[in-house]
Amino acid sequence: MQEYTDKIRQIARRLLEEGTVDMVIGFRKGSMPIMNEPCMVRRPQDVDQLVWDSNCGINLANYLTDRKEKIGVVAKGCDSRNIVTHIIENKIDRDQLHIIGVPCGAMIDKRKIASLVEGEITDVTETEAGKVIVKGEGFEKSFDKAEVLQENCAICIHRNPVVHDEMVAEPVEEQTDVDRYADIREIEAMSDAERKAFFDDLYKECIRCYACRNACPLCYCPTCFVDESRPQWVGKGQNENDIRTFHFLRAYHCAGRCTDCGACERACPVGIKVRMLTKKLEKDCKELFDWEAGISLENRPPLDAYRPNDPDEFIK
Amino acid sequence: MTFVKIDQKKWAEGVSALKKGYQVFGPVKEGKDHEFRKLSGDQMPEMDYGNTRLSPKAAIYPQSEVMFTYTTDERKDDHHILKEPERDETPKAVIGIRPCDAFSFLLVKKNFDTPEYKDPFWLRAYDATTFVGYGCDDPCSSCFCTSAGSGPFDEKGLDVLLVDHEDGYLAKVLTEKGKALTEKAGWTQAFDAGQAEKVFGEKAATAEGKFESQISTDRLADIPSMDLYDAPFWEDIAFSCINCGTCTYLCPTCWCFDIQDECRGCDGVRMRNWDSCMSSLFTLHGSGHNPRGDKVSRVRQRFMHKLKYYVDKYGDGIQCVGCGRCVRKCPVNIDIRKVCEMMNQYDPEAQNECACPTT
Amino acid sequence: MGIEPGRLHFSWISSAESTKFVKVATEVTQAVKELGPNRHFVKEKVKVA
Repeated sequence: MQEYTDKIRQIARRLLEEGTVDMVIGFRKGSMPIMNEPCMVRRPQDVDQLVWDSNCGINLANYLTDRKEKIGVVAKGCDSRNIVTHIIENKIDRDQLHIIGVPCGAMIDKRKIASLVEGEITDVTETEAGKVIVKGEGFEKSFDKAEVLQENCAICIHRNPVVHDEMVAEPVEEQTDVDRYADIREIEAMSDAERKAFFDDLYKECIRCYACRNACPLCYCPTCFVDESRPQWVGKGQNENDIRTFHFLRAYHCAGRCTDCGACERACPVGIKVRMLTKKLEKDCKELFDWEAGISLENRPPLDAYRPNDPDEFIK
Repeated sequence: MTFVKIDQKKWAEGVSALKKGYQVFGPVKEGKDHEFRKLSGDQMPEMDYGNTRLSPKAAIYPQSEVMFTYTTDERKDDHHILKEPERDETPKAVIGIRPCDAFSFLLVKKNFDTPEYKDPFWLRAYDATTFVGYGCDDPCSSCFCTSAGSGPFDEKGLDVLLVDHEDGYLAKVLTEKGKALTEKAGWTQAFDAGQAEKVFGEKAATAEGKFESQISTDRLADIPSMDLYDAPFWEDIAFSCINCGTCTYLCPTCWCFDIQDECRGCDGVRMRNWDSCMSSLFTLHGSGHNPRGDKVSRVRQRFMHKLKYYVDKYGDGIQCVGCGRCVRKCPVNIDIRKVCEMMNQYDPEAQNECACPTT
Repeated sequence: MGIEPGRLHFSWISSAESTKFVKVATEVTQAVKELGPNRHFVKEKVKVA
């Protein structure tokens, strides 16, 4: 990982010194274990803040929305796919960006790690040999990195950036033999009553902080439908129907756009598996339209294009 | 001040007895984390916890609370009149609350109980509540209560303070309310005060020695507000913020709310819900103007409120008890300890050479 | 997800197809009426907390 960090700093310094960009958006070391903080660097002398490791799960495309500067942005596979989506949706111009592509080694999941140990975690480090060492008061445990990946990373098939101006390293091998939708098939196989119960349970801890929405690069509406007050579409209290309405509608707004970057789930302070909705829509888009979001700048997304041979049978 | 000893058997019996006269709230394990919940039936507080995921503020100040009910049906005599709904007036007991969280209610009280304005909903609930604290033997590495006006065995805001002792607890009864509660629970086995003070003192000293993080707040009051407001670091601090409400909803001292009417047909309720200064809607005027329309101004507001405006207004410390929840749960790792340090260290005079970009 | 089967309908009607619109609207109304009152996603009055 140190090579990645060094290379990112080197590129950032060059871009800022040459004046190619006004700022570089990347990550700096966090103050908590398994956390890094997105940051922006404007001066060459500040590039040493930038780091890269397995705690860079936040999607940096979220920080590009409607910016006017020339920006160097550090992008792993999913970030790059959301950058593509941003460009397609006119939230940023390709010419404004210098994309520093990072072949991604997958991110680790703070909740999964917390669930595997007893007691507070004070330090988490990674070895070159692919081990994750977790330390806390009175314990030290070692895990294979593969055991503690974020769920979306474990099933990711686009670890390399799909668009970039330069890369910090050679591409990594993409996973091919992955069953991306095993959990979604289980939900699909449920009876209506079971499915209702499943979703009731899924959202019961929601506190409506909207961290899932705000961490999502797709959620850039100037006023979200839950914040609209004239007319007011959704109640603001803790009513379960209002909570569900928020989650369901938010997910639908991401249909055909979601890259399964996992930012929503990572951001949730109460550990809701927000991806259970977006993944179903992603699966449908794959099956119905053979579409994966953010792969190419050339193709229009299925839900903003009309084709006479539309396969939807339910429209009669 | 008296001390009583509570063994395991008495503990279980006492909690059951309390349920007959109080609505009892306590920490309950849900999944990986603990939360404060109203204990039902034979549910016992699960005391093997560091701190709860959300603060216990909801026991006094629910996330959604009905203030009034109304009807717009003109055939009814009381149409268009706001009426207070019937509430469960049974006194509350919050058992096992950490000292930092109990202290937070005193800070919130400064806002809800002023000479000019008294918030009847909050005050009634607060006055009807007895707080049974639980000393903190193992503070988290991200806790900093000792430098935020509280401490792991701090008694401020508590009616009773429990500490682990032998196979049960030793209770320090601090107020009349606390005395009434311990008597109701049948926790009356007196314990020698001298010996008890020693146990409490030693435990507090041990726990305080474990703190790894602290903040400095000594200069906050002296730096002019406008200098801090205009400080160059806000853009950097706010950059990563996604403006979610996690920090404000988890915080024991965040008190802001939003009032909403909800109706079905002619019958409706006026409710208030927690609100968050992180949301742009929070300050949006009816005219469409928004005085805090961008992210930087919202982030600055949160920290300035807690660490500067509150300090200046009440002259009694910061509006933060150091529970560390926002530090642990912020999705992008914004750390109030770092921000506080930057604010406290800030020297407006040294800003001739500006650290921010010239663009 | 909690929406009862039969309550959600989709259709594609051109602005020129007025008779189809009437037909679909009638069918949808009838189908939903037959299901009786909605049971899921019904918002109850806020409880006093």
